[in-house]
Amino acid sequence: MPALKATGLDALHPVLPNISSWRQYKAILRKDIAQELRTREMVTSMGLYGMLVLVIYYIALSQTGLDFDVTRIAAGLLLLMIVFTSMLGLNRSMIHEHDQGQLEALLLAPIDRPIIFLAKATTNLLFLLIVQIVVVPVFYIMYVSGSLPVQLGEIVPGPWWMIALGLTIGSIGVAGVGTLLATISVNSKGRDFILAVLFIPVMYPLLLVLVAALNAVIGGAVGFESVFWMNIAGAAIYNAVVIAAAFVLYDFILGV
Amino acid sequence: MIRMSDFLSKLRNISQGQELKIAIVLAILGGILTTVAFVMAFTTANMQYHDFTVNLPTFQTNPETRIPLATPEFQPQPPDGTVNYLNPWFSQKIFYFHVPVAWLSLMMFTLSAIFAAIFLKTRNPKSDLRSRIGMETTLIFTLGTMISGSMWTRAAWVNSWGEMAGKLLSEPRLVTYTVMLMFVVAYFVLRRSVDGEEKKATYGAVFTLLAWLIVPFSYAFTRLTQHTIPQAHPADALNTGMDPSNLLPFIVCIFGMSMLGYAIYTLRVAEEKKRMQLEVIKEDLEDALSDSHKQVGHADLMQQYSAAAVLGTATDKTENKEA
Repeated sequence: MPALKATGLDALHPVLPNISSWRQYKAILRKDIAQELRTREMVTSMGLYGMLVLVIYYIALSQTGLDFDVTRIAAGLLLLMIVFTSMLGLNRSMIHEHDQGQLEALLLAPIDRPIIFLAKATTNLLFLLIVQIVVVPVFYIMYVSGSLPVQLGEIVPGPWWMIALGLTIGSIGVAGVGTLLATISVNSKGRDFILAVLFIPVMYPLLLVLVAALNAVIGGAVGFESVFWMNIAGAAIYNAVVIAAAFVLYDFILGV
Repeated sequence: MIRMSDFLSKLRNISQGQELKIAIVLAILGGILTTVAFVMAFTTANMQYHDFTVNLPTFQTNPETRIPLATPEFQPQPPDGTVNYLNPWFSQKIFYFHVPVAWLSLMMFTLSAIFAAIFLKTRNPKSDLRSRIGMETTLIFTLGTMISGSMWTRAAWVNSWGEMAGKLLSEPRLVTYTVMLMFVVAYFVLRRSVDGEEKKATYGAVFTLLAWLIVPFSYAFTRLTQHTIPQAHPADALNTGMDPSNLLPFIVCIFGMSMLGYAIYTLRVAEEKKRMQLEVIKEDLEDALSDSHKQVGHADLMQQYSAAAVLGTATDKTENKEA
C-alpha cells in the first residue's frame, strides 16, 4: 500500500477490515431490501401502476368486438406494461440513493465500485420479478386465457414456463441497463423524462426479439419452439453485451 | 518510400490553421464530387433493371439461415407471382445518395464513440468536444438518411398491387434507423439536462458508448432477420453486384460525401474551439475590468453605467458623481 504509506494512513489500515466482495454485495442487498420492507414504496407503486396499465388496455380494447384476436398483440401489450412499470421502479430505486446521499455514503464506505452496480442491479431485478409474479398472471387471465380463441380451443398457448423464462431474461436486461441509466437520470434535471428518453432506444433490440419470442409462445402455432429459442438466444446475447458495457461504464459515472 | 510512422507523425504536426485550410479545400472538393456524382447518376449510369421484377420464391429467404421474427403462420404474406415496382427509375437514382449518407452516419457515430472512449480515459475536454461535434455531424447525416430513405421507400416499396410492400412498421431495419435518430436526439437532451461541464461530458460519453452498440446490432439486423419486404433494401442490391457505369458514380459519391462529412466536422470543431477561446478572453476581460474599477473604487459606478445603458436613459446621475 504505497499510497497509504505516503499519506501516513497506514496506521488506519488495520481498522478497515478486509471485507470480501461477497459480504459487501450482501450488505448493500440487505440495506435495499430492508429499506423496501419498511417503506414498501417500489413494489407497491410498480404493482399498482401495472394494474392501472391493465385497466387502460381494457379501455383501449373495449371497442374491438368479439372477432378481434387479442392473443396476436398480447406479447406486445405485456412487454409494454413491463417497460412502463420498470421505468417507474428504476427511478424510485435511485431517487433515494441520490436525494438522501446514500450513493455518497456507499462511495465513502470501503466497497468496490463494481459491487455497487451488481448489488443495485440485483435488487432492481428482484423487485421487478416480485411485481411480475403478481401482475403477469392477472394479465394472462385477462388477455390470453380469457380471450375467445383460447376459450374455444382454436389457439393453444405454449407452456407457461417459456413465458416466465422470456420475462426473466427481459428483466435481467432491463435491470442491468436500467441501473446505469437511472443513475444518470437522477443526476439530471429531467429525471423520469430523461430515463424514458435514454432507456427505450437502448432497450429496443431486446424488446423486439422478446416480443417475437413471447408472441410465438402465446400464439402456439406449429414450430413456435424454434422461433422462441432463436429469439431468446438473441436476447441473451444482447443482454450479455449490454450488461458488460454497463458494468464497465458504471465506474465512470459514479462520483462525477 | 514513406514510412508509416513518419507519415503519422507528420499528420500529428498539422497545425490548426492548416487543418482548417484542408477542411475548406475538402468541403469544396466534396461538393464538386457530389455534384459530379449527381450528374453522372442521371446521365451516364445505366438502368440495371428496366422492368424491376422480383421473383417471389427467391426473396423468401430460407428460415434456416435467418432469424425468424414470427412463426410462419403469422409472417406477412406477399401475393403470389411477380411484383412490379412502380417507380424503378427513381429508386435507382436515390440509391447513389442514400447509401453513402447512411454509411457516413454510421462512420460519424463510430468516430464520436471513439472520442467518447478517449475522453473517459484521458478526461481531456478536447476529446469531449470532438465527440460532441461527431454527434452533431451524425445528426445531420442521420436526417439525410431518413429523408433519402423515405424517398426510396415511396419509389421502391409502393408496388403494382398499389400498397406498401409489407407493413412498413414490421420492417425492423426502418425502425432501427429511427432508434438511431432517437439516440442522437437523446444525447443532446441529456447534455442539456445536466449541470456542470464535467458531468455533461462524462454522461454524454457513457451514453454514446452504450448507444453505439446499436451499430453492430443494426448491421446484424439487416442481414440476419427475415425480410418482411422483398428485395427492397440497398444491402440486397449491393450483394447482387453492380454495372461499372453504376459503380463509378456510386464510388465518386462516397468519396464526395466522406470529404463533406470530414469538412463539416472539422469546421465545427474549429468554430467551437474559437468560441471557447472567446469565452476565456471574455472572462479575463471582465476580471481585468472589475479589478481596475475596484482599484479606483468605481465598481458601483460601472454598474450604474451598464444599467443606464440597458434602460437607454441619460446618465446624468453618474455624470454628477464623476464631477
